[in-house]
Amino acid sequence: MKSFDYHEPKSLEEASSLLAELGKPASIIAGGTDLLVEIKEELRAVSHVVNIKRIAGLDWKSWDPEKGLRFGTLVTAREIETWPAVVKHYPNLRTAVSLLGSIQVRNRATVVGNICRASPSADTIPPLIADGAELTVYSNAGERVIPVEELFTGPGKTVLVPGDIVTGIHVPAPRARSGRAYIKHGRRKAMELATVGVAVSLERDGDTCADIRIALGAVAATPIRARTAEALLRGRSLDDDTLAAVAETAMQESTPISNVRASAAYRREMVGVLTRRAIGMAMGGIQ
Amino acid sequence: MTIHEKDIPQKTDFTVVGKSVKRSDTLEKVTGSAVYAGDIALPGMLHGKIKRCEIAHAQIKRIDTSKALALKGVKAVLTHENVPHVLHYGSPHPRSASCTKDQYIFDHRVRYWGEGVAAVAAVTEEIAEEALHLIEIEYEPLPAVFTIEEAMKPDAPLIYDNGLDHNNVLPPVVVRRGDIDKGFAEADLILENEFDLGRPTPAYMEPNVCVTQWDGNGKLTIWSSTQTAFMVRGALAEVLGVPLNKVRVVVDHMGGGFGAKQDLFQHEFLCALLARETAKPVRMEYTRKETFLGGRSRHPGKIWLKQGFTKDGRITARQARIVFNSGAYGSHSPGVTNVGTAAMTSLYRCENVDLEGRAIYTNTPIAGAFRGYGVVQTYFAIDLQVDEAAERLGFDPAEFKLKNAVREGDIAPSGHPIVGHGLEDCIRRGIEESDWVNVRKTSGGSGVKRRGWGIGCEMHGSSAYPGIKEQGNAIVKMNEDGTVTLLTGTAGLGTGAHTALSQIVAEELGVPFESIGVVQGDTDVVPWDIGAFASHTTYMGGRAAQIAAADVKRQVLSHAAPLLEAEADQLTIEGGVIRVTGTNRSMTLKDAVAPHRGIPAIQLVGVGTYTPTKSYSFGAHFVEVEVDTETGEVAVLQVIPVHEIGKVVHPIAAAGQIEGGIQQGIGHTLSEDYVIDLTTGRSLNPSFVDYKMPLSMDMPPIRTIILETAPDPGGPWGAKGVGEDPIIAIGPAIANAIHDAIGVRFHHYPITPENILDALRETTKEA
Repeated sequence: MKSFDYHEPKSLEEASSLLAELGKPASIIAGGTDLLVEIKEELRAVSHVVNIKRIAGLDWKSWDPEKGLRFGTLVTAREIETWPAVVKHYPNLRTAVSLLGSIQVRNRATVVGNICRASPSADTIPPLIADGAELTVYSNAGERVIPVEELFTGPGKTVLVPGDIVTGIHVPAPRARSGRAYIKHGRRKAMELATVGVAVSLERDGDTCADIRIALGAVAATPIRARTAEALLRGRSLDDDTLAAVAETAMQESTPISNVRASAAYRREMVGVLTRRAIGMAMGGIQ
Repeated sequence: MTIHEKDIPQKTDFTVVGKSVKRSDTLEKVTGSAVYAGDIALPGMLHGKIKRCEIAHAQIKRIDTSKALALKGVKAVLTHENVPHVLHYGSPHPRSASCTKDQYIFDHRVRYWGEGVAAVAAVTEEIAEEALHLIEIEYEPLPAVFTIEEAMKPDAPLIYDNGLDHNNVLPPVVVRRGDIDKGFAEADLILENEFDLGRPTPAYMEPNVCVTQWDGNGKLTIWSSTQTAFMVRGALAEVLGVPLNKVRVVVDHMGGGFGAKQDLFQHEFLCALLARETAKPVRMEYTRKETFLGGRSRHPGKIWLKQGFTKDGRITARQARIVFNSGAYGSHSPGVTNVGTAAMTSLYRCENVDLEGRAIYTNTPIAGAFRGYGVVQTYFAIDLQVDEAAERLGFDPAEFKLKNAVREGDIAPSGHPIVGHGLEDCIRRGIEESDWVNVRKTSGGSGVKRRGWGIGCEMHGSSAYPGIKEQGNAIVKMNEDGTVTLLTGTAGLGTGAHTALSQIVAEELGVPFESIGVVQGDTDVVPWDIGAFASHTTYMGGRAAQIAAADVKRQVLSHAAPLLEAEADQLTIEGGVIRVTGTNRSMTLKDAVAPHRGIPAIQLVGVGTYTPTKSYSFGAHFVEVEVDTETGEVAVLQVIPVHEIGKVVHPIAAAGQIEGGIQQGIGHTLSEDYVIDLTTGRSLNPSFVDYKMPLSMDMPPIRTIILETAPDPGGPWGAKGVGEDPIIAIGPAIANAIHDAIGVRFHHYPITPENILDALRETTKEA
């Protein structure tokens, strides 16, 4: 492993100014499950590592039926996976975190870290986009809120700038008659990167779909919303023809690449199949 | 034709053999104290690293190591300019028919992307790594070929000048029996297919690693993760120009090898040379990526197979052209080609065969020895085509395979009549256990998820005979308290081999299993051994241990006879007690051999040597799969492996071998493929991120059945090998089950979800 300078700021203010000063060659470390591997494998050149685990007040979590789910940046994937509120109200997020790496990895990895790594195939991102989650970002220049959906600009790239520290995440409370699902498609059941990930969150009104959000992972440079597909279903009944049209449209909205994991054509086809299946699962799981 | 009488000692009262005793290495492994080669740490030890080329075929024009040498902490840099330029065997079975002599430690030419070109020793791994980046190399690119088709063209560049044209590693292996034309003329149905073989790699847990040290008298000690310690000793001595008593190879525990660690790897030479150059101990360990680049895969390639069948279900002709892709060096290609080709004479009976096997050099990573050794590939082809013939002729595939299964006295691939054949037993038992006739009725359907059952069969030899005339050796010493020490050269890859050998010694001597201690894997101490491979450790090493134990027993009994006032042949040993048959006179073993006042202890050393021919083990796998016709995913729902392996020494260890082979085989059939870019020769997935093996979550329930119905007189109490067998039948069983589920026959592996969807689209188009 290449050597780097290591920093342990004690406050957000100190961390933010340090990161602003060090600029791009610095990286925040929380769980380190991605970063350390990337440094070891020389996939990323990092000359400064800034540990934020010494900063107090970043490991909180709360659930409220009105206000929804909130948790701090240091909350691990395993805590989210085993949190009864998540198990009960956010089966989509639960599925996503439970498929991330191994239990050992999930005991270290943080959900916010998985988001900020900005991998197009990150498991936690599609369900959070589909549920309209937002990140709270601290900076000495001022605090701001960024919807997860608007965070990404490319593979590994976000709108965050040196000095920004995501402090927590807010997932809105599930609305009445809503359902949600996440389906990960990979080459095996565990220890796998998604070949395609599809998250669907929807609300039902009688026989029609009152609202829907479809988020796709690993089929574009960033996780994306399939907005045209959503529009086809919004306010419509869930018959087979509509579902087929939605699936087809979601396929058209994806722009996957071919690599050793799967061809672009296969990924696109899976977007169709899994979108249809995820809508069915979300409908089936309405609370 | 001669049918050998079964000459098996009719022992029935086993006390240790056949019991799943607690493995002798359990405690040290669960406590983490077991010492592997990579655990060796010596004072002043340096760390070595290998620089690998990023070009598939080139002459090295210039290497400049000055910047690397100038880096603080770097102690030595080796290139082709300052290492011995001695041609050596890729795998160190010296002068055997299995291997080629076509490698140098470093050559002035590189033949595949990822080949080592320079090595550095430095005070830390990080500095060594950094120094690699400072070595400047100028290449003159040469035209490169990556597929067997390209490499066999008349105008293809020759990768290795061995006197053979078209990049052949060896002259074609030709096996002909009977009259092939007559066979096809008699056939009512002729099937002809081309099978395309993927490139799975063994992916052993423990990466290749060694530590080297030269003492003040010019003697080298190397701790290395190798299956063939004595072979490594021989090759190192030859290339380094030192006698055998100046090289000591030590291997205690290993984290797997699966056959691939029979080769001598670049790092073993380089580590020895760096240690000599620096006069310090040196440690070298491959990264996971290097186990792909510098490791050995199964041979990819193509098999063209044509068989003739009669309406009444006989196979009248079998013609095959097998072409293995050897990669940039020969390694085990001669052995794999010989064994894989010869295997096609058997399994399902056929009198008229015309087989030709080749191995071809290409500018890709090296293919070598790997569990199943050519047979995985050729039986995949045979079994799939026989399955299709059964369907076309209106037979149930299991009944058809049973009807054609190899029998007692048939000529085996080794050229000998089969003694102890168990394939029919395996098929019959599997039909029963799976409720085959009924489950096959529920296959297919028109739903999104469709299920099917398939059967695949295999047979595999224990020992590498006749390719290598092997010898198993053992020394058994009895200590003066009646405990026993077994000295064996056979490596413990993690299979429990030393436990099995100890059980055999305990059984033969009539002492408890716990009385046996094992000294293993130190070439200065243990008797000569050819290595742990070819499913022969229990069969051959076990028999040698049994012979050595019997030798000691004779000595003990003749020593005890006067003490018990009896003749030696009246004495037996049971549970550590010597008894005089027909009387109530007895004494403990300990009392018999212990020193007494004025009488010193005596030396009790038994030596066993066993030169086997070959025995065959058999297996039939029955598999249920579920195919998702929308995603193309194949889930293996259950496996019923039935294996006939003669006397079972340790049932849990044998079942473990079978389950492990199935896990590996599921991977090879459905997901594992080491992919090489066909324009540059670059490895596309040399890591576990993108080389996907099935894990525990992917494993189906396995209902293992082991039969002891056809023991072989060669093995201890009729025991045969089981190491390689289980990886052979699972692939065809899965492919045949996929056909049963969706009506599509594939002729390649791995069968990926994309392949499934493409094939289903084709069927829809045709319909």
